[in-house]
Amino acid sequence: MKSRLIVTPNLCTGCRTCELACSFSHMVDGKPSRSRIYPLPDGHADSYVPVVCLHCDVPACAMACLVDAIARDEETGAMILDNDRCVKCMGCIAACPFGCSLLDSEHDMIVKCDLCDGDPICAKFCPTKALTSRPVELTPRKKLVESG
Amino acid sequence: MVSLTINGKVVTAREGEMLLTVTRRENIDIPALCHHDAVEPFGGCRLCTVEITKAEWDGWTNYVTACLYPVEDGLIVQTHSSKVNELRRTNLDLLSARCPNSPEIRQLASEYGVTQTSFEEVPDADNCILCGLCTRVCEQLGFKAISTVGRGHSKQVAAPLKEAPPDCVGCLSCAQVCPTNVIEYTDTDGMRTIWNKPFDLIACSECGKHTITAAFADALSTLREIPRDYFDVCDECRRKELSLKMGSIVAWSQEEAS
Repeated sequence: MKSRLIVTPNLCTGCRTCELACSFSHMVDGKPSRSRIYPLPDGHADSYVPVVCLHCDVPACAMACLVDAIARDEETGAMILDNDRCVKCMGCIAACPFGCSLLDSEHDMIVKCDLCDGDPICAKFCPTKALTSRPVELTPRKKLVESG
Repeated sequence: MVSLTINGKVVTAREGEMLLTVTRRENIDIPALCHHDAVEPFGGCRLCTVEITKAEWDGWTNYVTACLYPVEDGLIVQTHSSKVNELRRTNLDLLSARCPNSPEIRQLASEYGVTQTSFEEVPDADNCILCGLCTRVCEQLGFKAISTVGRGHSKQVAAPLKEAPPDCVGCLSCAQVCPTNVIEYTDTDGMRTIWNKPFDLIACSECGKHTITAAFADALSTLREIPRDYFDVCDECRRKELSLKMGSIVAWSQEEAS
């Protein structure tokens, strides 16, 4: 079943399990620095926020992509990057207002959250339920857009 | 949907798809240097040549470039038959004569058993195979800063009048897609030089890290109406900014609730 990712920042303890889950599921070597999700300190003691692509309604990354390599998956609502189409101009990285388009310099490719094709792995591993997934049927994106 | 046979395996494909797209989806390794999904197929390097036939062709076969051949119902494709490998070897032999010093060409040629070219090597050779992928990508991006100039022996990739190209914004896409990594550039002290044209790199207003060129940011904000100040801060500082903002929202909501 296709699911969306729900982030509840006040439950995050910064344990970085999501980083491991993300990098192991997307890359063979599982380096946390290759993750698409980053728990970062939120300015308060022992408090963290998992920073991950917001799949914006007005996506600056897709607007900045002159070869249209970033497009929305209508089923999951995710902005998906097609690495075969990408020419690595770094426009999306520079344009994203939230810094969620990332350069994997080791594999020489741009990476970003793809919601694991509607089944976010990070949510399955989050021990404090700061990351959860909700079936997309509850909030179909098209209906959300239509209802404004 | 159409159904075809590739190396004895029956696969289905959408109508109008090119053979190379289908073989890549099936994880069949066909060499292709001039192909990139961002641009229209070109058929320049000829390395993706495959053997095709059909049951009604009475044993006749044809050799076509997979990147330019649309799938057909009942097509029987051989991607690594002895004849196909022989054609690829000839192509790689010729490419080895043109670019004897290119590590990418040498690697690919040795995979097909070509360790030394049987032709005369081009004197003062550079590593450009003249596939024009850089010029096609530049055109696709909408800048058209470089093009192939001249014909035959004198053909080369160059900027207009071989001067610093006025339309180049220094996005580096040409260098990134080049199959033989021949396009040179330097990034030093906040300056990028490519095609003999100097560019200022944007320094992050928070940490000073250099991101894209100011000219590319200007082009993106005009072409795609992205606010220019989006480009002032680097991605790392953006993430920090977002987590701090969300932190203050969480703290505020907890105060409101108590």
